[in-house]
Amino acid sequence: MPEELAVRIEDLSIKYKINVDTKRTLKNAVMRASKGEKVRMRTVEAIKHLTLDVPHGSVLGIVGANGAGKSTLMRSIAGILPPTEGRIIVNGKISTLLALGVGFNPALSGRDNIILGGLASGLSKDEIEAKTEAIAEFAALPDGFIDMPVRTYSSGMYGRVAFSVAVNMTPDILLLDEALSAGDASFKEKSFQRMRELCSEARTIIIVSHALATINELCDSAIWLHKGSMLAKDKPEAIVDQYLKFLDVGTLPSNFEDM
Amino acid sequence: MSPSADFQPKIQVFEPHRASLPPVIPYLKEFWNRRSFAIELSRFADKAEYLESKLGKVWLVLNPLLLAMVYFLLVTVIRGGNTKTNGLTTLAHILIGLFTFYFASNCITAGAQSITTGGRLILNQAFPRALLPFSSSISAFQTFLPTIPVYIFVIIIGKIFFPATQVPRLAISFLWVPLIVALVGITGFGLALLFATMNVYFRDTNKLLSYVMRIWLYLSPILWLPSMLHGWHRIALYANPLGPVLSATSNIWIEGKTPTLSEFIGAFAWAAGSLLIGGYFFVSRERDFAVRI
Ligand SMILES: Nc1ncnc2c1ncn2[C@@H]1O[C@H](COP(=O)(O)OP(=O)(O)OP(=O)(O)O)[C@@H](O)[C@H]1O
Ligand SMILES: [Mg+2]
Repeated sequence: MPEELAVRIEDLSIKYKINVDTKRTLKNAVMRASKGEKVRMRTVEAIKHLTLDVPHGSVLGIVGANGAGKSTLMRSIAGILPPTEGRIIVNGKISTLLALGVGFNPALSGRDNIILGGLASGLSKDEIEAKTEAIAEFAALPDGFIDMPVRTYSSGMYGRVAFSVAVNMTPDILLLDEALSAGDASFKEKSFQRMRELCSEARTIIIVSHALATINELCDSAIWLHKGSMLAKDKPEAIVDQYLKFLDVGTLPSNFEDM
Repeated sequence: MSPSADFQPKIQVFEPHRASLPPVIPYLKEFWNRRSFAIELSRFADKAEYLESKLGKVWLVLNPLLLAMVYFLLVTVIRGGNTKTNGLTTLAHILIGLFTFYFASNCITAGAQSITTGGRLILNQAFPRALLPFSSSISAFQTFLPTIPVYIFVIIIGKIFFPATQVPRLAISFLWVPLIVALVGITGFGLALLFATMNVYFRDTNKLLSYVMRIWLYLSPILWLPSMLHGWHRIALYANPLGPVLSATSNIWIEGKTPTLSEFIGAFAWAAGSLLIGGYFFVSRERDFAVRI
C-alpha cells in the first residue's frame, strides 16, 4: 500500500445475518432440530463493493440517509466488524467515537470510564493517567460531575466526555460518528477548534454527520453513501449540494446509472 | 504534510475470515499489552457492583462458608454422627474444596456472561475480546484470595475445640498451593472462554450453566473423599475437569502431602486442554461477536 495512504478499502462488502425467528436459545435450537426445521436467516447487505482511499492528513466526510451503512463502514475501519468480502488496510493508530457512545459503564464515574476507555484502546496505565486530567478539563463538566456515575449525566454531558476521550488520544486516524451532535453551542465551538487543530497536525479524520454544515466546514473531501454503495466522491460542497437535492426531490445524480 | 512526531507506522489488515484463528502471536501480544485493562475492569466492576452494599464482598466469602457448614451437617448426619474422630477433618475438606470449587465456578459463570453483557464496549472498541472473560477470572481470584485466611482461621478455632484431630500444621506441601490455584484458574478461564462463546450463540447457556454447576459440585470430590473411589471408579475423578485439582487440594491441605503424579498430570492436562479448546473456540469466533450482540 502506498506510503501516503491512511486507509485503503478494496472492494469491501459487509453483510449482516439476521435471525428472523425467535430468540436464539439452546432450547429453541433443540426444538427446531427435533422438528427438522431450519433457521431462517435474512441477509442485509450494509456495504456493497466499496473501494476508497483516504490519504494521510485528509478530513473525509460521509453523508447518507439513515441505514445507508455509514456506521457499519466506520466500525469496519475500526476493526470491529470483519469484512464479508474485500479488504481494509489501515496504517496508523485509530481512535474512535462511534454512534451509541463509547463503551461507558453507567455505574462508574466519568473519570473511571476515561481510564477504562484509554486502557481498552491500548494505552498504558501511566499514559492514560497523564491524560485523564486534560480530558476531564476539556470536557469541562459542571459541578464536579466528572466524579459522578455516568448514569446521572445528561446526554450532552455524556457526549462531551466521549468526544474529549476520542480527540485526546493523539490518534493517527480519528473516526467520529455523529460525535458533534449532542454538545451545546459553546462546546461545539470548542470541539470545532480542536478538530481544526487535529487537522493541522496532519491527522486523518473521518466524520459521519447529518449536520451538513459540519461536513462543509471541516472536511476537504466527502462521499455520499446510498444503500451501501458510494454514489459520489467530491469536494464537500458538491456532495452536500447533490445530497440536499436528493433529499428535496428524491432524484439520484445522473452518474448513478454507471455504478 | 508530514506525519506527526509520535506517528509509528502500524499497518493493520482486516480481511474476511471463516472460523479460523487470527494470527496468534500478534493476538497474544495485544492481549498482553492490554492486560492492565482487564485488571482495572475487574477492579471497577467490583466497585460498581458493591458501591451500594459494603457487605457485598463479605457475602461472597460468607456464602461458601455457610454452605460448607450446611453440607458439613448433612454429611455428618448421613454418616451417623461419628464426628469425634474426623469431624474437623471432614469440615476442613469440605471447606477448602468448596472455596476452590467456587473460584473455578465464579470464573466460569461470570466469564460466560462477560461478552453478552459487554454490549457497547464490544460494539465501539476493537480489542482482544478474551480480555473480558479474563477480567472476570481476575475478579474471581480476588474473591477467592480472602477465603484462604478464613479457612485457616476456622481450622485454628476448630483445633482449639478438638485438639485431637489430625489437621496438618504448616507442611512443605503447602508450597504447591500457588501452582494448584493457578491450574484451577487456568481451567476456569479456559472453560469461561468456551461458555462465553456459546452464550453469544445461545442466550440461555447461562441458565443451563447454573444447573451444570450444581450437579458438577456433587460430582466433585468435595462432599466425598477422592479415596472413596476404587478401581475403575477413579475414572469419575479424572473425567471431571476439576477432579484432579480438587483431589490435589485436599491432599495438600488435609493430608499435608505432595499431590500424586497422576493428580498433577490430570490437573495439567485439564488446564491445558480447557485453555486450548476454549481459546480456539473463542478467538476463532470473536470477530463475529460485534455482529451478534
Ligand atoms: N447489528 C446489526 N444487525 C443487523 N443489521 C444491522 C446491524 N446494524 C446495522 N444493520 C443494518 O445495516 C444497514 C446499515 O446500518 P448503519 O447503522 O450502518 O446505517 P447508518 O448509515 O449509520 O444510519 P444512521 O444514519 O441511522 O446512523 C441498515 O440496513 C441496518 O438495518
Ligand atoms: Mg449510524
